Amino acid sequence: MMYEQRSGAPLPPEGHVLIVGAGLAGYHTARGVRANGHTGPITIFGEENRPAYDRPALSKAYLTGAAAEEDLLLDDPEDPLDVTWVSGVGVVRLSGSADGTEPLGVHTHDGAFHPGDAVVITTGAYAMSLPAASSEEGLGARPYVLRNMEDALALRDTTLEGLDVAVVGGGFLALEAAATCTERGAGSVTVAAGEEHPGARRLGRPVGEAIRAAHEAHGVRFASASRAQAVRSCHRGHEVILADGETITADIVICAIGARPRTEWLLGSEVTLTSDTGAVACDDTGATAVPGVYAAGDCAQWASHSSGLRPVGHWQEAVEEAAVVAAALTGADPVPLQEPYFWSDQFDLRIQGAGRIHLANEVTVAEGSPAEGNLLVHYARDGQNVGILGINRLKDVTRWRKQRRIRRTPASAAVHAAENAPFSA
Amino acid sequence: MQVSFRACSLQDLTPGEGLRIDSVSPPIAVFLTEEGTVHAIDDTCTHQDASLAAGWVEDCRVECPLHESTFSLTTGEVDQPPAKKRVRVHSVQVQGDDVMVELSQEAPNLPPGVKA
Repeated sequence: MMYEQRSGAPLPPEGHVLIVGAGLAGYHTARGVRANGHTGPITIFGEENRPAYDRPALSKAYLTGAAAEEDLLLDDPEDPLDVTWVSGVGVVRLSGSADGTEPLGVHTHDGAFHPGDAVVITTGAYAMSLPAASSEEGLGARPYVLRNMEDALALRDTTLEGLDVAVVGGGFLALEAAATCTERGAGSVTVAAGEEHPGARRLGRPVGEAIRAAHEAHGVRFASASRAQAVRSCHRGHEVILADGETITADIVICAIGARPRTEWLLGSEVTLTSDTGAVACDDTGATAVPGVYAAGDCAQWASHSSGLRPVGHWQEAVEEAAVVAAALTGADPVPLQEPYFWSDQFDLRIQGAGRIHLANEVTVAEGSPAEGNLLVHYARDGQNVGILGINRLKDVTRWRKQRRIRRTPASAAVHAAENAPFSA
Repeated sequence: MQVSFRACSLQDLTPGEGLRIDSVSPPIAVFLTEEGTVHAIDDTCTHQDASLAAGWVEDCRVECPLHESTFSLTTGEVDQPPAKKRVRVHSVQVQGDDVMVELSQEAPNLPPGVKA
């Protein structure tokens, strides 16, 4: 569904901005609002009892111990943002209505009401996990997930030497976890990726082959291409059950099978949640159905995501959406969204993809080969180049993104252009 | 005593791009801007092990090829997270075709897990 672009007046300079969710999107929204010159108060509500941090390292450097918690913090203690952090307090309800009759604000778990002049929803997503199947050992199967620092800490504090690890999932998070567990000395690592060459469905067969080859070269095993259905306890630890009947026995099971938007606290509010994933439906400025309420990051689905023009869930997407919301809130020049971009580090592969890879119907190996760890892949849709993926090809990916960078147009110029358009609506 | 060394030739540089020089440790990156100026900074992003020489150069700043942080080629300061610390800036003199670099005597800000 689409909303009319709300051309409401930007926030007054003394207005109070409430940001619900202290992750990447929330932090960057606050930063952007301040950078745009907003002088009023900003309050960021975070459910976790720790300062805002960056998640990508949770499956990599933080999990190996190379990076510490302070290395992941988003705010610079030597140059902190001028915001009020409310940590360890969950937000339970959004107040506000499309007709403006209900006051804008949020209710926290402790019963307090916090009024605001704008609310930005950046509550992120929950890690999904496999259902636990019953067994003679009971229902105690508890796979690890990797979503927040607490999850990563639990896995980091577990000795892996000599243990059998099963990783469920074929996305980058699963593969990074498999690589990290291998590097930490796990006795064996088996990945149930749900496809023969992990990533092949989304990124093309050559990329899947390259990823599989790199993992196998380090001893990672791949289960059959069948989907994992459940996990259960067994006398040896855990068993992952695949749809084709194969089981993987392991001491430790890590699930990285996707995430679902953290929006249940918005049920009963006037913002619209998408029927499939329960994400907050927004236009491409992050505006929701309630004036003054915006959403960004993993909990949100903007119009471009709903129409399939952009992928959801990437780190870069959250950062860029935050800048767009900050501009919309403060009336600054609109910020264009760039070509989608993602990256992953697995063993000695640095994988970077950019563009509308999900729209491609043609995959071409431009240079390198899957076996050599130097693949360069071009993606096209109906003959038109729409994306690129490089493995250890930082310069190639940088050049591609640079050529396609969309420059920020001053609002005045955009208005001027619209006025001069012959048949503008 | 500070000595300058020949890092590369001007001919080795492409406008708007960087060149990684790993004959020194930690490695440095030499940039030729579109405007024709030459700069040298530490090559490793202070957030995570990534070569800034592969980054995107614009308005005398380089954007890390992995993430969003950009570093000034003249002061080394960083504009936004995930990086928080600046990179060192090395002085550059172009003598004919030779790019001569004198390394900074400061301690480098290397990312977690990376040693000089």
